[in-house]
Amino acid sequence: MKKYWGLLPFIIPGVILYTIFFAIPLVSSLALSFTDWNGISPDYNFVGLSNYVEMITDDPIFHQTFGNNLKYMFFVVIFQTLFALIFAMFLAKNSKLNVFYRALFFFPTVIASVSVAFIWIFVYDPSIGSLNTILKLFGLDFLKQSWLGDKKIAIYSLAITQVWMHTGQVMIIFIAGLQSIPKSLYEVARIEGASRWQTFRKVTWPLLAPAATIVVAYTTLQSFKAFDLILAMTDGGPSYATEILSLFIYHEAFRNFKFGYAAASAVIFLIIVSLITILQFRILNANKVTYN
Amino acid sequence: MNFKKLSVLAIVVLLVGAFVVGCGGGNDEPADQGADSGEKQVTIRFAHWRGEDKEAFEKVIAKFNEEYPNIKVQQDISGSEQYRAKIQAELQSDAGPDVFTTFPGAHFATLQEAGVYADLSGAEFLDRFSPHLLLAGQADGKQYAVPYQLVFNIPVYNKGLFEKAGVEPADSWEGFLEMCQTLKDNGITPIIFDSEIGPGQFMNPMLMNNMPTDDALTRVEKGELKLTDDWFVKTLAQFKELKDKGFMQDDVLGTRKAGAAALFAQEQGAMLAQGSYMMASNKQQNPDIKQGLLAPITVPADQAKYEGIHTSTFMIGINAKSEKQEAAKKFMEFLFRPEISAMYANVTGQMLTVNGVEYESPELNEQAKWLEKKTLFQPRYTLTVQEVEDAIVNSIKDVLGGMSPEEAAAKAQEEVERSIK
Repeated sequence: MKKYWGLLPFIIPGVILYTIFFAIPLVSSLALSFTDWNGISPDYNFVGLSNYVEMITDDPIFHQTFGNNLKYMFFVVIFQTLFALIFAMFLAKNSKLNVFYRALFFFPTVIASVSVAFIWIFVYDPSIGSLNTILKLFGLDFLKQSWLGDKKIAIYSLAITQVWMHTGQVMIIFIAGLQSIPKSLYEVARIEGASRWQTFRKVTWPLLAPAATIVVAYTTLQSFKAFDLILAMTDGGPSYATEILSLFIYHEAFRNFKFGYAAASAVIFLIIVSLITILQFRILNANKVTYN
Repeated sequence: MNFKKLSVLAIVVLLVGAFVVGCGGGNDEPADQGADSGEKQVTIRFAHWRGEDKEAFEKVIAKFNEEYPNIKVQQDISGSEQYRAKIQAELQSDAGPDVFTTFPGAHFATLQEAGVYADLSGAEFLDRFSPHLLLAGQADGKQYAVPYQLVFNIPVYNKGLFEKAGVEPADSWEGFLEMCQTLKDNGITPIIFDSEIGPGQFMNPMLMNNMPTDDALTRVEKGELKLTDDWFVKTLAQFKELKDKGFMQDDVLGTRKAGAAALFAQEQGAMLAQGSYMMASNKQQNPDIKQGLLAPITVPADQAKYEGIHTSTFMIGINAKSEKQEAAKKFMEFLFRPEISAMYANVTGQMLTVNGVEYESPELNEQAKWLEKKTLFQPRYTLTVQEVEDAIVNSIKDVLGGMSPEEAAAKAQEEVERSIK
């Protein structure tokens, strides 16, 4: 043990930074969640668990927000993972054309969320937007929608934008996973007479499980934290139809001046995201296999 | 040097570095005495959200420096939504801006209650304003902020399209509906409406003559009136009527502010349900457009109490924690001079609350006509609880989205009761 003491100085800076920028804010948030602080006044009261009780039992907007977040998360996780996997399967080989397509699909990821939001606001605009114009051009008027104005579909319109923006990024993780699968396993499968589907099901997918675990966990977190895109596109509207938890916390703190309540929502948010991530890791790790 | 000594040295260097950084960063400029002595430089920080006015303020600051060369003014600009969040955090610290702006209503009320404003009562420059336009920056009989801009929160209309259809602004609800119908019959969309700011803007003229008292929304907040009362349900029903009769463009809830403004500038609609602050940018987009202001009168002509809505906004105040309050006051006094305000107004196209300002553009002169009319201070900004404001605005969106006025009003009232309990 003694020999490790010399390494201590190298750990201390990291510990200090972690304590200042993560542990202290986290503990402060937890402490704030038991108060009615408005975010600016020097005075506040200790309110015990009432912020939590109100949020869980008597806040229809929080409940709606949580529901919206689940819809958003499921849509994004399913479609982003699916599209990324399909693109990765097609683009796994390192040909020049594939490298070009990878860069092309990755490109939306490097654009700032706010820029993406502005692009898509004009894509979805009912009067001058390209989506409805294209639908009209092809005689598909019946498919024209109020993409961001209809409370029933607005959250999915935002999820489509999120999928468009991040599919390329997730595709890269799948490509790395696919390229790490030994070619010999495919040769064995071919010799054994396995069909393409059987090869995918028995070789590719199980060996891609670690990459899929990362992708699903990352996409879940990403969809919970999709703050800037939604803020810029709808700001949670119409009538809270696209308000998700991160935006709810922001609005409570900085629009409604309820910092204590926002801190309580942030704690709940942390618990929800942690639980979902743990659950996903367990489910996906159960599918993991090793071929010796 | 052995490994242990190196490690100890590394820690010492780190700690000394942290100490030096911690001690540094303070304000090395002297406070007010510098401004007064004319020898030492003072820099005041002016925080606001109007990025589009940066150039105009730079011109004002350059003029200010001709008179006060030792007071530098540094603009600190953020987008309006980010500004709300940022200013709140900054004012808590000791490093907040010296001069800052706020929105009237809930934003001002919260900051004022937190004691962040220096008291401006008795300042000589207040005499340059009409007293009623200063009310939005007052609390407990004291003047904490000075509303600088004057906005009319009523629709902008296209005079050319009105002439083409042969209609004039109406002075009653019946007349307003007839006017819209005639525009529609002439192939013109009567009202261009957006979901971003439209409901919060158009609700004001729609409510002004329907409310039982001028402070009806404040009374809703106090629990004395309800949104399920006739006057509010009637207002929502009138919104529904405008939508159902096809007097608004398709998909109002999917239309954003910029999209609506573009449609209006392209002359695809006769009225833009936003406010006078859009006239300058509309003109920039379409230099040929001739614009006026009108308000929907929701009652018979003889029952109308008000002709429109005004808001005195962009409320400028001084940080109570600032050590440079005298320099900050000098800047405010300079900014509020009529000739300096005229310079600012004519560059930005914004109407101001300062008396004696000479406006040059046709749009500003059009707005100046409304100074003579009977207008009500924006009811939305009399609300001090943001959630009540959100409930009201969302009830309008709900009605435009297909909900019945009664149902939307009941839903809004539930949210109000939850917020004020």
